[in-house]
Amino acid sequence: MTPSLDITGFVCPMTFVRVKMRLEAIAPGGRLLVVLKDQALKNVISSLKTDGHTVVGVSRQDENFVIEIEKKA
Amino acid sequence: MKDADYAELKKGGMMRQREEGRFSVRLHVAGGGLTARELAAIAAIAERFGRGAVHLTTRQGVEIPHVAAADLAAVKEALAESGIGVGVCGPTVRTVTACQGSAVCPSGVIDAAALAATLDTTFYGAPAPHKFKFAVTGCANNCIKVEENDLGVKGWIEPCWHKDGCNYCGICAAVCPSRSIAVSTDADTHDLDVGTCIGCGDCIAACPSGGMQEKGKGYLIYAGGKFGRTPLLGRRLGKVLRTPEEAVETARQVLDFFRAVGKPKERFGDTLKRVGFDALESHLAHHGGGHR
Repeated sequence: MTPSLDITGFVCPMTFVRVKMRLEAIAPGGRLLVVLKDQALKNVISSLKTDGHTVVGVSRQDENFVIEIEKKA
Repeated sequence: MKDADYAELKKGGMMRQREEGRFSVRLHVAGGGLTARELAAIAAIAERFGRGAVHLTTRQGVEIPHVAAADLAAVKEALAESGIGVGVCGPTVRTVTACQGSAVCPSGVIDAAALAATLDTTFYGAPAPHKFKFAVTGCANNCIKVEENDLGVKGWIEPCWHKDGCNYCGICAAVCPSRSIAVSTDADTHDLDVGTCIGCGDCIAACPSGGMQEKGKGYLIYAGGKFGRTPLLGRRLGKVLRTPEEAVETARQVLDFFRAVGKPKERFGDTLKRVGFDALESHLAHHGGGHR
């Protein structure tokens, strides 16, 4: 099962810091689901792109977004 | 000293103080940029001819207060020796304000400081029906508040939509602060309104799949803003300009328009209220330049 991280309780910069930290525990090419609010989307996704990771899926969960990240191989 | 003499001195940046016989000397500064050497020279002049104090103006300028009338010429000469000009007042193009722009700021989209320097060289002190203020800001964050100025220039990032890269996830619409994007995740439709887009680039930064991409960078122009007793916000022109040269040329056309239709002592925003914003748009349309 894909591990999951809920960052809806955090504000920038802890949103993308939490994602970065969680990704460190994942093997290259592995996946992570992140539940986040609208206002965290830009900084989290742009930081993921900068670090070379890929967002492979996007879905909604109530008023939040869920993004599925594939860690850089 | 006669009132007429005071008025003449004020036009040349020497402002009469409440205290008899003392003047606040306004310096010529563009975009808030001064070298350390210039600052040292200003400090020395303030020590020698003023009371060792300077005033930082609301428009990123510097004034040396408490200069005696008899010393005004000497102050001007001492400033000139350090390459610093004296400012202007009255119905002219005033201090150009700017943020540090793309040369320094990570958010900067355009080189605001360089454009401010060009606008200053081209227009500073030029006559107009009333005071006329320019401002340049590097990006949509608008730190310099361009809408408070007679003419403001703002850097913008124009997004464009690429169908092939889009997975209709709706993230671009969710992050758009001006609600210029509508996405239907069910019907696979995407609608981008560039006319209301503020050019922040958030949709591009947040897009996970390459559906939103940068079409190009540009210069938005806002006209007719002011503060003072009855504030007005500048309105965005339809034109989007692609180069600093186009921005300067449009500034020239806007100033020409103001000179042609503005009444003496009428701020540009009030002129636009009287003659209609469309009159400016059509003047610019007839004088070429710009896109859209």
